[in-house]
This record gives sequence, C-alpha cells and structure tokens, in this order.
Amino acid sequence: MTKQTADLFKQGTLELLILRLLSSGSLNGWDIMQRIQLVSGEVLSVTPGALYPALHRLEARGLISALWRQSDNNRKAKFYGLTARGRKQLETQRKEWERFSGAVDLIMRDA
Amino acid sequence: MDLRSFLRRWRALTHKKELEDELDDELRFHLDRDVEQNIKLGMTPKDARNAALRAFGGVDQSKEECRDARGVGPLENTLRDISYSVRVLLKSYAFTIVVILTLALGIGANTAIFSFANGILLRPLPYPQSDRLAVVDETAHKRGMDSMSVSYPNFLDWREQNTVFEDIGLHFGTSRFALSGAGEPVEIRGSRITQGLFEILRVAPHLGRTFTADEDRPDQDAVVILGYDLWQKNFGGDPNIIGQKIVLSNRPRTVVGVMPRGFRYPEVSELWVPLALTPQMFTRTDHGLNGIARLKDGVTFAAAQADMDNVAARIEQQNPVTNEGLGVKITSLHENLAGDYREALLILLGVVGCVLLVACVNVANLMLARATARQKEFALRAALGASRWRIVRQLLIESLLLAVVGGALGFALSLLALHLLLNAIPIQLPFWMDFGIDLRVLGFTLGITLLTGLIFGAVPALQTSRVDLNDTLKEGGRGSTGFRGRSRSLLVVTEIALSLVLLVCAGLMIQSFLRLRSVNIGLDTNNVLTATVLLPRAKYSTPEQRSGFFKQFVERVRNIPGVQAASATGTLPLSGSNWGRSLTIEGYPVLSVGQAPMIQHTVVTPGYFRTMGIALLAGRDFNDADITDGPKVTIVDERLARHYWPNESAVGKRIRFGPPEDNEPWHTIVGVVRSVRHQRMQEDTRESVYLPHMQIPINGLTVVARTTSDPLDVTPAIRNEVKQLDRDQPISEIATMEDVVAESIWQPRLYATLFAVFAGGALILALIGIYGVMAFLVQTRTHEIGVRMALGATARDVFKLIVGRGMKLTVVGVVIGIGGAIALTRLMHSLLFNTSATDPFIFIAISVLLSVAAFLACYIPARRAARVDPLIALRYE
Repeated sequence: MTKQTADLFKQGTLELLILRLLSSGSLNGWDIMQRIQLVSGEVLSVTPGALYPALHRLEARGLISALWRQSDNNRKAKFYGLTARGRKQLETQRKEWERFSGAVDLIMRDA
Repeated sequence: MDLRSFLRRWRALTHKKELEDELDDELRFHLDRDVEQNIKLGMTPKDARNAALRAFGGVDQSKEECRDARGVGPLENTLRDISYSVRVLLKSYAFTIVVILTLALGIGANTAIFSFANGILLRPLPYPQSDRLAVVDETAHKRGMDSMSVSYPNFLDWREQNTVFEDIGLHFGTSRFALSGAGEPVEIRGSRITQGLFEILRVAPHLGRTFTADEDRPDQDAVVILGYDLWQKNFGGDPNIIGQKIVLSNRPRTVVGVMPRGFRYPEVSELWVPLALTPQMFTRTDHGLNGIARLKDGVTFAAAQADMDNVAARIEQQNPVTNEGLGVKITSLHENLAGDYREALLILLGVVGCVLLVACVNVANLMLARATARQKEFALRAALGASRWRIVRQLLIESLLLAVVGGALGFALSLLALHLLLNAIPIQLPFWMDFGIDLRVLGFTLGITLLTGLIFGAVPALQTSRVDLNDTLKEGGRGSTGFRGRSRSLLVVTEIALSLVLLVCAGLMIQSFLRLRSVNIGLDTNNVLTATVLLPRAKYSTPEQRSGFFKQFVERVRNIPGVQAASATGTLPLSGSNWGRSLTIEGYPVLSVGQAPMIQHTVVTPGYFRTMGIALLAGRDFNDADITDGPKVTIVDERLARHYWPNESAVGKRIRFGPPEDNEPWHTIVGVVRSVRHQRMQEDTRESVYLPHMQIPINGLTVVARTTSDPLDVTPAIRNEVKQLDRDQPISEIATMEDVVAESIWQPRLYATLFAVFAGGALILALIGIYGVMAFLVQTRTHEIGVRMALGATARDVFKLIVGRGMKLTVVGVVIGIGGAIALTRLMHSLLFNTSATDPFIFIAISVLLSVAAFLACYIPARRAARVDPLIALRYE
C-alpha cells in the first residue's frame, strides 16, 4: 500500500467502511480486508495494523459485536456483526457522508 | 458508562489472559489465511510466511493498539504501570530511599508550618458565627495611639447609643485568683467580665446559668462561673456544684454556672466573675478594659465603624476634657488575635516552600540521571510498540508514586515536627489556637505531594519524550549529553540560587536575633530570681497591711542564705505587664489628658535598683523614710530627666501623674537611674518613673532576689517564707530574670531557629545536587577525559576542567540568588531588628560560604577525574 492511499484512510472513514461491509452480514477480519480491496477495485487497501485496532475500537464502543465460529476453511475465526447501535450509527454516518460528498461533488462540477 | 461496557471492561480486567489468547488467535488466523493465499499463488511455505508477516506490519504494535482500543486500556495500563513502577523502584532501592527521604523532609516541613499557620490564620475561632465578632478598642490619635483599652463610662455610652451591635461586652484581661480549699491554695487564671459576654460569644453554660444584670453590680457580685477543666480537676466534676460557695482570693462566691468543655476566654481564663464596676469606680480617664461585640446580621465592619465614629464624636462633644481626641476602632476578633503572627507565618511558609522547591529540584536531578541511564529501556519499549505518551506516563507514575510515599512519610514527620515546634514555644498558647490536623491540612499535604510529583516528574518525562529512538539504540546508550547537560546545569543553578536566598534570609534573622539578644536592657539579668505574690484585696484591705506584708516578705527573702539582695516591683521589665499614666511637669503648661505624655509607672520597694543592677546616676534610692504620710517622692529614668532638664539636674524637680485636671499631689524627684527596656527588647518608647510601694501600696508585687549561685536553688526557701507569713497565700511565676528576658523574645528566637534549620536543609540538598551533577559529568565523560589525557592534558588540567565547570554554575547561581535575595529580603524587613534587609556583610559572607561549600562538593568528583587512567578510560565502554 502506498503512502497516498493510507492517508485517505482516516480513522472515521475506515470505520464507516467496516460498518457498511458488516451491514450485509458478519465477517472476520481477513474477509473485511479482502472485501475492501475487492470492492474498491484495489484502489483502497488497509493493513492489519490499522484494521484490527479499528475493529476492537468499534467493539469497545458497542457498534459491532464478535462471535467465534467456523470459517470457510474450517478454522475458528472471530466474526464481527453489526449491533442495533451500529446500524443506527451507520445510517447517520452514511447520511453525513452523502451530504459531504454531495457538496464536494457540486463544487467540483461547478468549478 | 452503561452496564454493558462496564461488564466488558470488568471482563477485560478479570479475564486478561483469556482476552490476550483471543487476540493472539484472531491475529494468527489472519496470518494463516495470508500464508494460505500466498501458497496458492505459488510461493514456497517459507516465502509465503515471510511475505505475510511483512504485509502484516508490526504484530506487537498492532496488539498494543488493540489493547488500547479495548477501552479498558487506561485503567488496566495504569495498574500495570503502577506495578511495573513499584518493581523498578524497589530494584533501585538506594535511589528510591534518597528520593523518598528528601521529599518526606520537604513535605513534612511544609505540612508542619502549614498546620501552624492553619491553626492561627485559617481555622475559624471556636465560637458560633465567629466572623461576626468584633474587638472594640479606643483610639487616641492625638497621643499617637491607634489602639487603647476602654474606659467603663465610654463603654456604657457605646452600649446605649450604637445601632450596629447585638451587644457589647467587656473583660478585664486575665487575672489571677487564689482558690483556697483543702491543701495548698492554687492560683487560677480567670477574668472579670460584663453580664452578657457569653451571649455575645454564643456559648451556653454546660451547667447552671450565666450572670444576670443585677450580679454585674458591686456588692451583688459574689458569684462565679467555672470552666469545665477547673470543675473537673478541682471539684471532681461535682454535678451539684451549682449553688455551692467557694472561696476565691479570700472572698466567698456562689457558683452559678459551669462552662462547656474546651471553652476558655479570654486567652486562657477558666473562671469568670462579674466585672461589677460603676462609672465612679472606673472613670472616663481610666482605660484598661477590653471590648468585644457581636455585629447584628447584615451589618458590615465598615458600617459598624461608621456608626461608632458617630457615637464617639457625640461622647467627645459631651465630655470635651476627658474624651478629647478619643475615637473607636472596630476590628474582627480573628484579625485582632491572629494579626501579630500573620506576617511571620507567611514568610515562614514562603521559606519552607523554597526548601521544598530545592528538594524537588534535587529529586528532578536524580530522576534525570536515572532517565539517562534508562534511555535504552525506553527506546526498547518504544520499539516494541509503546507510544511516547505511554512512556511519559510511566515516568510520571513513578514520580507520583515516589511523591505519594514521600508525602505519607512527610505527613508523619510533620506531626513530630509540629510537636517539637510547639514545645519550643515557652508561653501557654491561647486556647483558640488549635493545631490539630483537619481537612485543610490533609488537603494541603495531598496538594503539595501531587504538585511536587508533577514538578520533579515533568522534567525527566519531557526530556525522555524528546529522545530520538534510533539515535539512542545506535549510540549504545552513551547518549548525547547536550540537552540533558543543559537541563541539569539549569537545575543546579536554580538550587544554588534558591539556597542562597534562604541562607541570606536565615543569616539576617540570626544576625537580627543576636543583636536583639545582646541589647543592653539596662539591668544585670544574671542570678536573679523573680516570683509574684498577689495579695487578695478582701484580706489585705488596708495600705498598711499590704506594705507591711511586702516589707516583711522582702526582709525575710533578703535573709535567705545565698541571697545577696532582694526587693520587689509592681511591673517586672519585659514580663509583659506595664502600667501607663499621664505625666505633668511642674513649670510646664498643664496639658489636657488627651495630650499629656504617657509614662511607664513602676512601683518598687527600697533596694530595687541595687538588686537589679540598675545604675543610680544621681540622687538617692528610696528608703524606709519614704512613708505614706511623708513627702511624695519619685525616681525618674535618665531619658525622662534628659528630656525635660537637658542642662540641669532633675533631682529636686516636681512632677505628678494621672489626668492633669485631677490635681494629684506633686512628687519630688529624689533620684535618676539608667533607662531600662521595660516593654520590649526591640524598643522602649516610654519614659519611666518609679514610686515607692509605701506611697502606692498596690496588692501585687514581683519579688526579685539576687543570688550568689543558681537562683532557682532558693525557690523552696522563698516558698517557705511566704507560707510562714500567710499559709493561704499562693506564689506564682517563679522564674529567673534570664528566663523572663529570653521568654520575651521567644518569637525572634523561634523564627531564627526555623530559618536556620530550613536554610541548612536547603544548603545540604544543594550540595548533594552539585555533587551529583559533577559526579555524573565525570562518569559520562570518562572517555573524553581519557582522550584528553592521552593527548597530553595533565591531571591538574582535568581537575581544573571539572571544578571550573562546577564553579561556573555556582557563580551563576550565586549571582541570580543575590538578585532574588535583594528583592525578597525586603519583605521580612519588619521581622528584623537593627539589621538592614540588604546587610552587605551577610550577603557577602553567605555568598562566600556557599561558594566554598560548592567547591568542596565539586572537589571529590574532580579528584576522581584527575586520577583517570587514560588506558582504562579509553577501553571503558
């Protein structure tokens, strides 16, 4: 991962992405990392060093909860899922993000 | 914190191991998936693993961040830091002990002085709503007196005319009463008070009642109220004491009340009788009573003062002769009681605060040295993922731990110090001074403990936080001394400067005290015993009885073996008692009482001047021919004689005393004696006259006896002589004249001692500081010294290098210290006697002393440096 992409990943953005990914079902850390890379078309990437602390932070804030269960490769893995509070938080943050990016969009188009 | 997050945190604390395992599993799972994928992409297992690890980044760092993210981090980390700190501190126990002791002494001294100041300045007086209590004094600005005791008729007018007080009361200070009964008569300190005084203080009796208005009249005043301790001690706490008769100074009185435990007023009185005065007995020109009042709710002191100004003006208008220029002054009771001590206490607090600062600097110095030695440890921890803040916090926790242990020990020490301090005070302290530990003292100790921890902890913590991790690890711990060297030098300079200020203050106080002690007070204090006898007026009602008793008594004392001379006086010099009267000189214009000069009026028996060693300069002493009916005679002191008869002899001139319009008889001056410091050693403002006891037969005299050996040896004989004359007569205040004089200057003595102790402590700390820095310098620069010597530097050069560096710091510190001292000693001007606050001798002597001491502190490390063997030094890594 280059330094430029890392800078895009401010803590809040990463957390928003995690919440978004988890809204369609629970995932483990490794899956989340793959998804981010996959979904963003390899533009965005995240290191485990950033991802796991972010997951633990979200868990500590009660936005996601964790469960140990079998993964596809038959090993036990820690799966994270959205809590009710996490869902609400995702809604608010998504709206904010849309407002923000909409505004940036407008400016970019007009200018 | 909601319940769920609380439970999670709780679990994090209690199931630490489990959570750690989970974290390990989680991250291992991630790595394993990466490895699997890499193998799928065609790598060998070994390459796959290495690539996965590389992609992961710092595993330990991630873990640390995850732990932080858990939210329990702060609490759990703090606990872990504390237990780590304890281990680290226990490991270097020598360092720990030195630091804790240094802090304990600093904090202990501060707590002791603070408890002292708290007991006098901060604690409210032990009466309900004591902030509403006011002292009411008279003033006579025309006579240069901004506070004068109260006259009875004025008080009656105040009571009637004022609109601002709930009530005003009077007391007559503390007097002595002889309580006779079974066994030896005992002397009790008590006070004559007006009816209503206890109501003003809002203290209700424990038993019985207070005085009625009727009892505050002559002939109806045969009643008494007892203090709780007196009741317990002398009457066995008899619950039926009310209504019983006791004999006080030969007069029977009925007990009407017992005051509650712990109540004493004024000062140490524990027995009260009605004042029972009339305006005829105590006229407008007789001042000697003390006024106390309680302000009505909502009335300010300023409003009370304004109202009483009007009242005083009205009284002056109605009594233009007696009350000329008399005013009233209202002060808060607490202010009035504590005012004398305020300045000295604040200065002492400042001084002891400086000592603590020096202690902090020293500890900071030690911490810096240690932090330097621990650089590698910190660098390693940083490399393992500890954040900078985490390391700084670790250091701060160590500092706070040291401070808290030091503070606890200091608190224990302060109790001891306070005990010693109170023992050093020779007088019975007024009961309102309470030096017990209260929340304020505890808060103060806790506050300065945490503050010191932060002060001496901040320096090394900040310094460490700037350390560049890579450099440190690369340099192998030898470290760049640049910043560290500078900050340690700064600390040494601070220490030297602070110590200099303290030493100068102490030097000034000691010089001042020595000068005060060697003041020529005008009499010879060696081998003089003093003892006071107060005859009860009820038994010794006629002048003949009183003069007869004392004549016989002095005669008997004179005949005791070992007594060379004996006499008696009404007011012993420097004992705190004095009697001022107005003076009128024959041939000078007669002044009004408001303008006539006040002189010290002392009643003595013949032989007083010879006994006390007061030189007779002209004329004669009193003798047995100066009797009641004979011509009135007086002896004046040299100041009065020189003042009024500068060019001729005062002997044969006539003067009289008391309010000029009273036309008391003229007294002929028969002698002139050397002036004596009567009121204070510091100064004697009043000119003095002496009168023969035969002509002024007062009922209380202090017998003085000059002895050939230790004066206290004749004490039993003197007691016996009193008993022979009157077996009910107590004798009190037996002390040598030297003790009386020493006691009169106990405050300057105590301050000088405390200053010396504190400054000495600061000096020792500063020297340890310099020594530590120089020794450290030598140790860290051994390599460099070795190179220098290998290149031809002699041992002498090296010695000069080290000492030169130490002395440079010393000189800078001394110069700054002198500047600080010049600015600060001015504040203690009022505590100094005959000593300038910028006395150049003290300044120079202290600077030299400090420099020499600092030189010695540098000498040992410098010698060690000079002995460095270049070969060993160069190999030494």
